[in-house]
Amino acid sequence: MKAGECGASAPVRQPLKAMSIATLINKQNRDGGWSYVRGGSWTEPTVYAIMALLSAGETASAMRGVSWLRSISRRDGGWPPCPAVDQSTWVTGLVALLGPETMGAAAHRRAVGWLMGTTGEESTKMYRLREWLLGNSPSLDTKEPPGWPWVPGTAAWVGPTSIAILALDKEDRRQSSSDIRGRIDAGRRFLLGRACDGGGWNHGSSRPLGYPSGPYPETTGLALAALRGVRSPQVDLALTVAQRFLDECRSADALNWLRLGLRAHGQLPAGYCTPSGVEYRTIPETSLDLVMTAAEQGRDCFWG
Amino acid sequence: MAATAGAALLAGCKTRGPAAAQAEPSQVSIVRAPAYDQSLYETMRRIVAVHRLDVRGRSVVLKPNLVEFEPENTINTHPLLVHATYEAFLAAGAASVRIAEGPGHRRNTLDLADAAGYFRIVPKFDDVFIDLNLDDVTRVRPKSQFSRIEKLYLPNTVLGADLLVSMAKMKTHHWVGATLSMKNLFGTVPSAIYGWPKNVLHWAGIEECIADLHAAYPRKFAIVDGIVGMEGNGPIQGVPKQVGVVVAGRDSLAVDATCCRVMRIDPFRIGYLRLAAADYTQIAEGNIVQTGERIADVATPFALIPEFKSIRLG
Repeated sequence: MKAGECGASAPVRQPLKAMSIATLINKQNRDGGWSYVRGGSWTEPTVYAIMALLSAGETASAMRGVSWLRSISRRDGGWPPCPAVDQSTWVTGLVALLGPETMGAAAHRRAVGWLMGTTGEESTKMYRLREWLLGNSPSLDTKEPPGWPWVPGTAAWVGPTSIAILALDKEDRRQSSSDIRGRIDAGRRFLLGRACDGGGWNHGSSRPLGYPSGPYPETTGLALAALRGVRSPQVDLALTVAQRFLDECRSADALNWLRLGLRAHGQLPAGYCTPSGVEYRTIPETSLDLVMTAAEQGRDCFWG
Repeated sequence: MAATAGAALLAGCKTRGPAAAQAEPSQVSIVRAPAYDQSLYETMRRIVAVHRLDVRGRSVVLKPNLVEFEPENTINTHPLLVHATYEAFLAAGAASVRIAEGPGHRRNTLDLADAAGYFRIVPKFDDVFIDLNLDDVTRVRPKSQFSRIEKLYLPNTVLGADLLVSMAKMKTHHWVGATLSMKNLFGTVPSAIYGWPKNVLHWAGIEECIADLHAAYPRKFAIVDGIVGMEGNGPIQGVPKQVGVVVAGRDSLAVDATCCRVMRIDPFRIGYLRLAAADYTQIAEGNIVQTGERIADVATPFALIPEFKSIRLG
């Protein structure tokens, strides 16, 4: 999968889009889900493929994907990364992004409930109590606002926190709730606190052992998307970094998230088109490119 | 599973648990390799031959250390060394040789590999490479249990290989002192399940998890890229360190202990080596049969951050 040439006046790459939708349909597994590249079905690529197909009006294939997703939901309300795994993880945020209109009200409500009940382990009362008793912490207060972990029982990081915020923000606009707004606000403060010194975000460790580390394009775009509507020096600095990344970066994954992050703040250059030569190597990369293109045309999965 | 069959078939690639260590000393090669050039192809053929790795008709997975977008490859295992090894195993009769990695911070693995020069150096890289972060998985219980993790989901590509070749970079590491062939196994833990970073391993104890993973893969060969390593605040933010050696052997513990000595780090002060070595005999210098260069002739002190000054050898 390779991006086509992008003429200055060409609004979108329609032939590529048609090819990519066909690619997604062809790569759908028999069970209705999608792999990342090859093999069995996984939650993350399946969610992104569903988003892309729904954006293109390909509902039959998308709904087969939805059926597969519903079939692997867990009793605790969350979703595992793939059926082989017996634990709900961060991918529940992705399923919640699909909304009740796609997943059904009950499944969606459970996904949102799982997200609301999940924090990084360092924010839990039990962990804080243990740290205090061990003398590692001077008080029972949290050091930073709660974010979301990749896997429950571990620390919060930029990626899963951003995805959870995107899902809850969409839910809050659908059905406003002070509890949800509280988690979104806390999650956003977590992100602002994890920004790199020079702007932007990496995976969430901006000063390991006190040594400053640099930002990544993909996480900078993702965090900026989660900080839509937030005005702060960290956001301003990150927007500058993201613009630079957008000019220099040739990674499909990174460009997808940079497009979303910059668009969230009205900073995506008008008529932006992915540079030629960018390789779309995975189902998430292909799907998200289609999702971003559709969003830039007004069919928005994230904030529509 | 191929995992079981392969163990019996790979002559000489038997497990070296602590009990086996005393019975048979491990052989570790230190081979001079002053630069990343064409001579590496002969060097790697020689290493495969010296260690009598009978891979005829077998599947081999090369697992380099790919960490960051960095064209100079001070952070990543150099692609020329990986390709030379790839060719050496094919020449030795391997039925298949694949390159596989699952980076811990960056999601876009193939883009990272591209930036590190793998597409340029390895013909048809796309066809031989497996992103271990996105591979299908099987739940396993490590044979030795050092960490709190009772089960691990590991990639089928690695579990099914007859021989896993850990191709690490010789680097200091700001959490565990040194990252070598055993720490490199973190890249086999799939991020699609555990995240970027693979934080489960940190919460369960980094050193304990390294020892667990070492036990989870009994059919290994270790190759450490010490041509240019990294000192100081490794494994990402350190500075290049020219050593000019490739260190290799069947026993990862012995290889990593030897690398530590080359770096002038005391292997007995590296927590995961102490854990996995049990009675320490495997990492004792006297119990390792050194071939090629002598440690004293290639020893190159690696700068250590203040937090790790205590691991300095001597």
